[in-house]
Amino acid sequence: MNIIEFKNITKKFGNLTANDNVTFSIKKNSVHCIVGENGAGKSTLMKILFGVYRQDEGIITIKGKEADFSSPLDAIDCRIGMLHQHFMLIEDFTVLENVILGSEITRNIKLDFDKSEKILNEYIEKYNLDLSLDKKISELSISEQQKVEILKLLYRNSDIIIFDEPTAVLSPIEVIEFFKIIYQFKIEGKTIILITHKLNEVKEISEYVSVLRRGKLVYETDAENLDIKILSKEIVGDVDVKNDSGNYEYEGEPGVLAELKNINLKKNKLNVLNNFDIKLKKGEIYGICGVEGNGQNEVIDILYGLNKNFTGDLNIHTKKISLVPDDRIKKGMIKEFSVGENIIIKKKNLKSVNSKSILKAANDVIIKYDVRLPEVNAPMESLSGGNQQKVIIAREVELDNDLLIFSHPTRGVDIAASSFIHSMILEQKKKGKAILLVSSDLDEILKLSDRFGVINKGCIVAEFEKNQFNLQDETEKTILLESIGKLMIGITGEQKN
Amino acid sequence: MDLISQIISLTFLAQVLRLFTPYFLGANAANFSERSGVVNIAIEGFMIISAMGYALFTIFSGSAVVGFFSAILVGILFSLLFSLFVIKLKINQIVAGVGFNLLMAGLVKFLIIFLFQSSSNTPRFDSLPNIYFLENIPFIGKVLSDYIILFSFALIFISNFVLFKTKFGLRLRSVGENPEAGESLGIKVRLYKLYGVIICGFLASLGGIWLASNQNSFSDGMIAGRGYIAIAAMIIGKWKPVNIFVACIMFAFFEALEISLQISGTFIPSQIVQMLPYLITILVLIGFIGKTKPPAADGIPY
Repeated sequence: MNIIEFKNITKKFGNLTANDNVTFSIKKNSVHCIVGENGAGKSTLMKILFGVYRQDEGIITIKGKEADFSSPLDAIDCRIGMLHQHFMLIEDFTVLENVILGSEITRNIKLDFDKSEKILNEYIEKYNLDLSLDKKISELSISEQQKVEILKLLYRNSDIIIFDEPTAVLSPIEVIEFFKIIYQFKIEGKTIILITHKLNEVKEISEYVSVLRRGKLVYETDAENLDIKILSKEIVGDVDVKNDSGNYEYEGEPGVLAELKNINLKKNKLNVLNNFDIKLKKGEIYGICGVEGNGQNEVIDILYGLNKNFTGDLNIHTKKISLVPDDRIKKGMIKEFSVGENIIIKKKNLKSVNSKSILKAANDVIIKYDVRLPEVNAPMESLSGGNQQKVIIAREVELDNDLLIFSHPTRGVDIAASSFIHSMILEQKKKGKAILLVSSDLDEILKLSDRFGVINKGCIVAEFEKNQFNLQDETEKTILLESIGKLMIGITGEQKN
Repeated sequence: MDLISQIISLTFLAQVLRLFTPYFLGANAANFSERSGVVNIAIEGFMIISAMGYALFTIFSGSAVVGFFSAILVGILFSLLFSLFVIKLKINQIVAGVGFNLLMAGLVKFLIIFLFQSSSNTPRFDSLPNIYFLENIPFIGKVLSDYIILFSFALIFISNFVLFKTKFGLRLRSVGENPEAGESLGIKVRLYKLYGVIICGFLASLGGIWLASNQNSFSDGMIAGRGYIAIAAMIIGKWKPVNIFVACIMFAFFEALEISLQISGTFIPSQIVQMLPYLITILVLIGFIGKTKPPAADGIPY
């Protein structure tokens, strides 16, 4: 039985057609993935379903009735819930306050905290969410914050749940936990719509898949007939996904560019780095993989000179360091500024800043790195995530520095842009730059690194050389991945006993 | 020695409490507005216009009670006008606030000259009635019998309860912290901002009325920056009613001390003594400002 039917949905924003005559349906109690590149129209379509936007043409029917939502409230009344890509949480409120807001339980004029607590604790237990209700959001990790959002949906009894790229911010282990929650939802009889562009996840969890490309529905399949190769071809269309078979080896003189030895760092009396050691060499990519919040950001801060309160030896033989930060919107750019302004702001020895030089800086990058944007003076925030990231990486790379730090370079970026970014990073390696790659995406680490370390509780707990992880044999590969996964969450051989 | 015995006297305490009242009303007024995300530096202007309102309506009706309710109405009407500018028309809140303060100062001056042909003050008028059976307690009877002073003490608990224990308070705070999140859950963001500003207008006008009622006359410049001190007390109190109470008591204490010092006569030049409360404001702000955190969406039009 179809719980939701989209019929000929068209939505235009000015000249851009975000959804073009999209027709498909979603079966009750299924896990339905909607995949496509950034800007393919997935989010727009879901926002129409959730009442954020209104379609220009077409009809949506929900549970057999035509839906005519004028705001998300109507959708919530229809028991539809949406987990947004950017969380809608109030930092200074507790978990409890965030969840009950808007649907409070009261006794007389007072909020009934006890009763709401009881209800929420039941959900927390049932779905194994592991949250404490009286903590403030600002104290929670990203994955915990996501759980708060999930708790909000549960509290409102949503039975159709839309997830907008839920795993983009999660580490591999957190993804597994997240999938468990989804399975539980399915058992409960809920319908799940998942927007994603991670194909391995699609393969793992979906029962039905719909592919959007440039606003059009181009391909549909179910789990049985799912072929990742066909799927990825349908997502990208005729564009070539750049293959990384090229030679990116550095052939110059080797040398150590930076060395961190026995670095210890305390934050709020807690050890965030414990005898941390790494060596960064010319023409080599060193990967750090780990669950977020295990000291990765602190290492970057120390290398980049933002934090000097550490003990231990730090030897950096260069002052020319580039950084592509993890949070591109907060740390990587000034979102109200144009592309050109964002590039020129970091240039040294600039004689004058005027509209001409800004335009030139923008055009150089736009052409060289194939950045797509509405118009050259548009603010950075109007670009898609992938294009924003291209601009930031281009800026850092063009500075021609000796040491490059990439933190989660492809987070929330679609396939085509990801592979472009990967080749940008590899180009730099070939030029002899020392590169530090921090990522929670294990595939990315394995694909790009020459060496990598697994970080847990502020310490590199294991290091792997290329010949150790560049395996062809599938079973060996699985065993390796499993052991890395365990290292990431801190399960060592000894603790097993 | 003389000064110390003066400070620990009940008269001094009564003086502190009297100075405390307008500060605390003003600071709570500002807090309700800021908790809903509207920076309202027009507290001063609200106090001026409602003090004037009390003066006019008491003089022309001959009844302090009529004057009281009319002045409250005046305060609320002006807060609605302020809301029109900052919530509906989304004018920059600081600019609107400065505009209001200047407008009110000018308006009352005009009214005094126009209505009473005096350059600086109105004729005398009645004070608000007191709780008569408490009035005769020695030293502090005048304070204990004052409805507005008693209300401002109750306000510590009322503010705290409304902001942190009720549905209304939760929603009000949510629009000051993250209006997008509030709206996604169906909260009418602008309506709650309007509530915040109206409560602000109400409390600020109580402060203005109290000052006018106690001086039995409205004079130009009588609010004397109390609206700004109130905002400083709110910031020092980190937007929390109990802390705001402490901050207001502190300001009131130093102002009472200043008065005592002036009366007792010291070798310190009087100008320096008069600076004392403001100097303390600046020092405390320097010491505390780094640690205070306003509501996240404070001052951002929505």
